[in-house]
Amino acid sequence: MAAANAHAVSDAEYAEVSGHRLLGFLFFLISDCVIFGNFIFSYLYLRNAAPLWPPVGIERPYLYLAAVNSIVLFGSGATMHYAMEGMRHDRRSQFIGYTLATIVLGSMFLGGQAYEYTHLLPHTTWAGTTFGASFYTLTGLHGFHVFIGVIFLIVVLLQTLRGTYTQERHFGLTAATLYWHFVDVIWVALFFLFYIY
Amino acid sequence: MSVTHVELPASSHIHPPPDTFIKKYVFSLDHKVIAIQYFITAGLFLVFAGLLAELMRVQLMGPNNHVLSVAVFNQAYSLHGTAMVWLVGIPIVTGAFGNLIMPVQIGARDVAFPWLNMLSFWMLPVAGILVFASLLFGAPQAGWTEYPPVSLQLPLGESLSLWCAGVFVIGVSSTITGLNFLVTIVKMRAPGMTYTRMPLFVWATGVTAFLSMIATANLSAALAGLFIQHNFGVPFYDVTRGGAPVLWQHVFWFYSHPAVYILILPAFGIVSEVIPTFVRRPIFGYKAIAYSSAAIGLLSFMVWAHHMFTSGLQHWEQLFFMLLTMVIAVPTGIKIFSWVTTLWRGKIRLDSPLLFVLGFLSTFTLGGITGVMLASVPADAQEHASYFVVAHIHYVLFGGTIFGIFAGLYYWWPKMTGRMLDERLGKWHFWLMYIFFNLTFLPMHWAGLMGMPRRVATYDPMFAGTNLFVSISSFVLAASILIFIYNAYRSARYGEPAGPNPWGARTLEWMIPSPMPYYNFRDVPIVLSGPYDYGKPLPYANISQDLAMTPVR
Repeated sequence: MAAANAHAVSDAEYAEVSGHRLLGFLFFLISDCVIFGNFIFSYLYLRNAAPLWPPVGIERPYLYLAAVNSIVLFGSGATMHYAMEGMRHDRRSQFIGYTLATIVLGSMFLGGQAYEYTHLLPHTTWAGTTFGASFYTLTGLHGFHVFIGVIFLIVVLLQTLRGTYTQERHFGLTAATLYWHFVDVIWVALFFLFYIY
Repeated sequence: MSVTHVELPASSHIHPPPDTFIKKYVFSLDHKVIAIQYFITAGLFLVFAGLLAELMRVQLMGPNNHVLSVAVFNQAYSLHGTAMVWLVGIPIVTGAFGNLIMPVQIGARDVAFPWLNMLSFWMLPVAGILVFASLLFGAPQAGWTEYPPVSLQLPLGESLSLWCAGVFVIGVSSTITGLNFLVTIVKMRAPGMTYTRMPLFVWATGVTAFLSMIATANLSAALAGLFIQHNFGVPFYDVTRGGAPVLWQHVFWFYSHPAVYILILPAFGIVSEVIPTFVRRPIFGYKAIAYSSAAIGLLSFMVWAHHMFTSGLQHWEQLFFMLLTMVIAVPTGIKIFSWVTTLWRGKIRLDSPLLFVLGFLSTFTLGGITGVMLASVPADAQEHASYFVVAHIHYVLFGGTIFGIFAGLYYWWPKMTGRMLDERLGKWHFWLMYIFFNLTFLPMHWAGLMGMPRRVATYDPMFAGTNLFVSISSFVLAASILIFIYNAYRSARYGEPAGPNPWGARTLEWMIPSPMPYYNFRDVPIVLSGPYDYGKPLPYANISQDLAMTPVR
């Protein structure tokens, strides 16, 4: 987006426009947060209304894989942070390496989630119980966000390789980073609600 | 006055003037063109949804009429409500008025993200087509609220999916518009325009944008839940499998109560602009009006369950929501008193914009009072799902929002088109609409208190006289809008040129030619103080003085 006219605008103009975009992107994240909040409310409401939780015949989801997966995802948050540090100090190879690591870790998280869906939860389906409804809707929505985040990172990495972003002008990277950290934070809530609480 | 040189904001370079017909009138990036697109599209939906209402009134002319089948009657009221809230009310007050006026009032050249603005608009016709297309498959019959289990039980075919998809699309559009407007107001105000120098319409639009952004995102999630329940059997709301129908009511009203403030706050903003202009004195309590908008915005998130007093809430929940609902009447009352105090001993000029505002004040206050009555749990147990509620909502949404919309249209029409509307026709429009609005909806209060339920195609013959009277009044009410349409046509054909500032107002949109030029301002204006200090020199530098100083008609 900012890329097309990166060199046609002055630094002051770029700063102003990316200021608008940054605020707009933050507002987008807030509204996205509300969507998760809605489903979390639904989950807590249904859980509170149920006589027994998890419902009869349902086991709690398997904690250990989710714990490993959480470490993977939080690790990807750290690598993303170091990638941005690289961009801020104009260390291009640091940026590229850590972004690649983030992409790999994000994909590993998705793989772990796919394994969990197919192998570790044989006793309920999405449409089977209110537990399945909340669990698959929320973790699925989150997984979809991780997937979009991975695509987002691949795109900004390719753009960086083509020289779109510089030390001063990298709004697209800032947005991708913010998005990635946002997805991380949402996972903290989901991990607590489904695997520990 | 010395003119200082100010750098153009970078965002002014975002879109150069369009060179083709498509770019200028269809996929336009210009906020003023998009506003007119919103007016026309939502106006068409207003006609559809209004005709649905008149169809219902034809059915209700007699207690056992067979004009519509019960199923079609149910579809008519469901789509009437859906369309009036999402396809007419919200697009006009935010998309149309917000786009037309807000960027100019803050001295900006466009909104922050013109492309997103265009996207938001084009979601509106898509949503409208999806919602009205559900009629072909048998539209949803559970009202605009689509409460499960009724909305899930009937043999609805694909229509609930279409309804969900349509409302989802307009919800996303509303969220994007909110985000866009909020960034515009935070980031793009002209130099010197502090928050407490913003016109009150901008305050109202800002709070509305915040509500659109937060609450409507929640609506999208709720609709997604209903959609997957309907199509894939995911048991969120299915009580036979542990789901909870009341959960839908919670998530739906957590959006839809803020939504009624999305519908009314911009109308408050319009009223706050019109009154000082036609009374020629500073608005009383600028900060009280501005901050009470913000208070309403925050409180509106904490009152949703007052729609659910008969749905089996805990007693402490009923008490909590009853008290907070009564509290929200306080900031609204602050506004009403400030407006009345502004009118008090003012030099009132009874032109049509002010007439509609006075109509707004009287009908909206009545609707607000019945709102406080409904907020009381014991009273609500009696009045819930009766015609009393129908009367209440039409007093606040028709008597409030629609009167506010017409006040805004008569006020800003010269700015939008460059031509005046006919004053005599405007007065005819107002008086017919005002009288027949009251004749239509006032008797519904008594019908409701005497026990007539809403959403019924046939009713007890004891209500026959009232309903016949209401139906006939409603036909005249609908016909009164034809006067406005004729007036608009007449203005385009023969209307006298308006000049930049026909009402002698002081906000920034009147400091530029009518209709507004493509980039709004040749030079970025500098704001020196608030906009309502009638009797003092204009508080702007860097605007063309010959435009600002045109004589008042």
